[in-house]
Amino acid sequence: MIIPEFSPSRRLIYIFDLLFELVARDMKLRYKRSVLGIAWSLLNPLFQLLVLLFIFNMVVPVNIPNYFSFLFTGLLSWIWFQSSLLLATGAIVENRDLIKKPGFPAAILPTVSVTSSLIHFLIAIPILLIFLKLDGIRLTSASLALPVAIAIQFILTLSLAFLLATFQVVFRDTQYLLGVFLNLLFFLIPIFYDASKVPERFKTLYNLNPMVHIIEAYRAILIRGELPDNLSLLLVGLLATGLLIFSFKIFKRASYYFAEEL
Amino acid sequence: MSYVIVVNGLSKKFRRYHPDRPFTLQEAVLGGLGRIKPVEYLWALRDISFQIESGRMVGVFGPNGAGKSTLLRLIGGVGKPDAGSVTVRGRIGALLDLGAGFHPDLTGRENVFVAGVISGLTRREVSEKFDSIVGFAELEEFIDSPVRTYSTGMLMRLAFSVAVHVEPEILLIDEVLAVGDIMFQRKCIEQIIKLKAKGCTIILVTHDTAQIRNLCDEAIWLHRGRVVARGPTNAVVDQYIAEGFAETKRRTPAEWPVAHTDAGTELRINENRFGSLELEIRAVKLLNGKGLPINEIKSGDQLCVVIEYNASQPIPGPIFFININREDGLVCYDTTTSGAGLNLPTIQGNGKVKLYIERLDLTRGLYYVNVGVCERDWAYSYDYHQRVYPLVISSDGGEKGIIHPPHRWEIEGEQKLQTTMPFRRTP
Repeated sequence: MIIPEFSPSRRLIYIFDLLFELVARDMKLRYKRSVLGIAWSLLNPLFQLLVLLFIFNMVVPVNIPNYFSFLFTGLLSWIWFQSSLLLATGAIVENRDLIKKPGFPAAILPTVSVTSSLIHFLIAIPILLIFLKLDGIRLTSASLALPVAIAIQFILTLSLAFLLATFQVVFRDTQYLLGVFLNLLFFLIPIFYDASKVPERFKTLYNLNPMVHIIEAYRAILIRGELPDNLSLLLVGLLATGLLIFSFKIFKRASYYFAEEL
Repeated sequence: MSYVIVVNGLSKKFRRYHPDRPFTLQEAVLGGLGRIKPVEYLWALRDISFQIESGRMVGVFGPNGAGKSTLLRLIGGVGKPDAGSVTVRGRIGALLDLGAGFHPDLTGRENVFVAGVISGLTRREVSEKFDSIVGFAELEEFIDSPVRTYSTGMLMRLAFSVAVHVEPEILLIDEVLAVGDIMFQRKCIEQIIKLKAKGCTIILVTHDTAQIRNLCDEAIWLHRGRVVARGPTNAVVDQYIAEGFAETKRRTPAEWPVAHTDAGTELRINENRFGSLELEIRAVKLLNGKGLPINEIKSGDQLCVVIEYNASQPIPGPIFFININREDGLVCYDTTTSGAGLNLPTIQGNGKVKLYIERLDLTRGLYYVNVGVCERDWAYSYDYHQRVYPLVISSDGGEKGIIHPPHRWEIEGEQKLQTTMPFRRTP
């Protein structure tokens, strides 16, 4: 038990500063020696977008209106989710020197991974707005709900990040298996197709995936300019919060042993 | 009495796993989950209790595997005790592995911010202390260059500087004073003494009992996870050394061929020679300033002691020590390689160790130069030659006492020429 002399408010400032510095470190390291700098973060979504556009416009047309914006919305959300989890899985194992430092809050590390990826997501939002404009879509006051959708995705991702980072400490192939799993999951989320096309008898099962509702929410807000399906978003939000509490507890309990397992 | 650290019945066990323990999920599924459980537990710490008062500096020492680092980590809140408790009041700073969190591609400035925040400062506090951190590390010119362009010494200075600027109330130090050059070590120690003067409570974990004697108020001797002795530094360290001597005697072979020194003195095992003899001192030479072998010097002359050794097997980090004792056994001078900050690597085969003493300012008389080499934790000696190498020190004056510093007398005041009194020496 450590009894610090600091007030809770300083602790809060400290945690925020720690998050800030570690996220900034991630950013600097990734773009330090590249000519394009932070623009690199846009290349991955843009190339994926081009390939998917080619396939689903020219090869197997899906005939979705405003497909450019439709696809990019789904893709950005997905890339944030995917890269957060892949990064967070290695967050503990790859920072053994920090884990062994007295007073270092291990829980910050998965949070840093999710936040760094969030920043890439946010950087791409202006590009998305340009695409919306090109598709002739006008933003409505519903866009004010965008931060809510982002917050829910953040909580959901973070709760999974805690579990995966813990798991990686025990089983070092978690990251690899996660990659395989995410490749499959990509097809089970309405990124390049319309969720309404899913056959009725699979719908209940399909809708159990919270990412489905989050992506639908982004599309409602940005493309259709209407408020998302509040009930399903609320349920996803509650589920994500519950999961976060659960996975944080697991993480916390396991974290006492991180230092000796690494 | 205010205790800032209270350790109560602390125990910690480590899990030892089956050698085929699965490290991947794939192996676990194929090989069955049975092997995932630890096969046995090893007690790293067993029922440790002590309290440390505010502002004290406590040295923790003991051989490798004694549980020193585990204890330090638990006090730092890393890991969880299996029994007992640790209560710590105050902000903890740590000099554990310097440079944790430093990234080679970031500049010194960027690293200071990251490391400062990782060590417990807010960004604002780092900004306020930034100039002082860089100034202490003497890296003003290089602070905007990537850390990968720094030398190890520069990196250590910067890391240490950040760590001490956290202004901890409790500072945990683990062997870090063994890194870097002597100048840097001296600076570190000065800074640690300053922190102590400000009331910081310090726990120092080290192999080096000399360092503990120099710096600490109290000492804790750990062995295999238990406290062997605890109390005022000198008492505990003396007990440790006495135990080391007993251990040396236990390890000294009963029979060993008699050797002769250059001067013809017989080296007889268990009489004037002790040690396990895995590393043998083959010859010891006393040389004067001109490099010629001698057994008599004038007080204030230069002396060089050369130890020629042979290690029949690899010896990790041995410590050479030399002391000069008066005929009656009083230790007049005692020095060790580790005390001088020299950490020897693993040695094997033949080699020489030389000690240069610029001036040996001892009063005249008969002395013995005792030489030895011991195990890196001081647990026992490999070879120790006691009262084998005599050294006569001569001088012109008739001083008594122990030291004979360069000196002169000067008299001021009116003096009557007629009745000159001879100077009387005060007894």
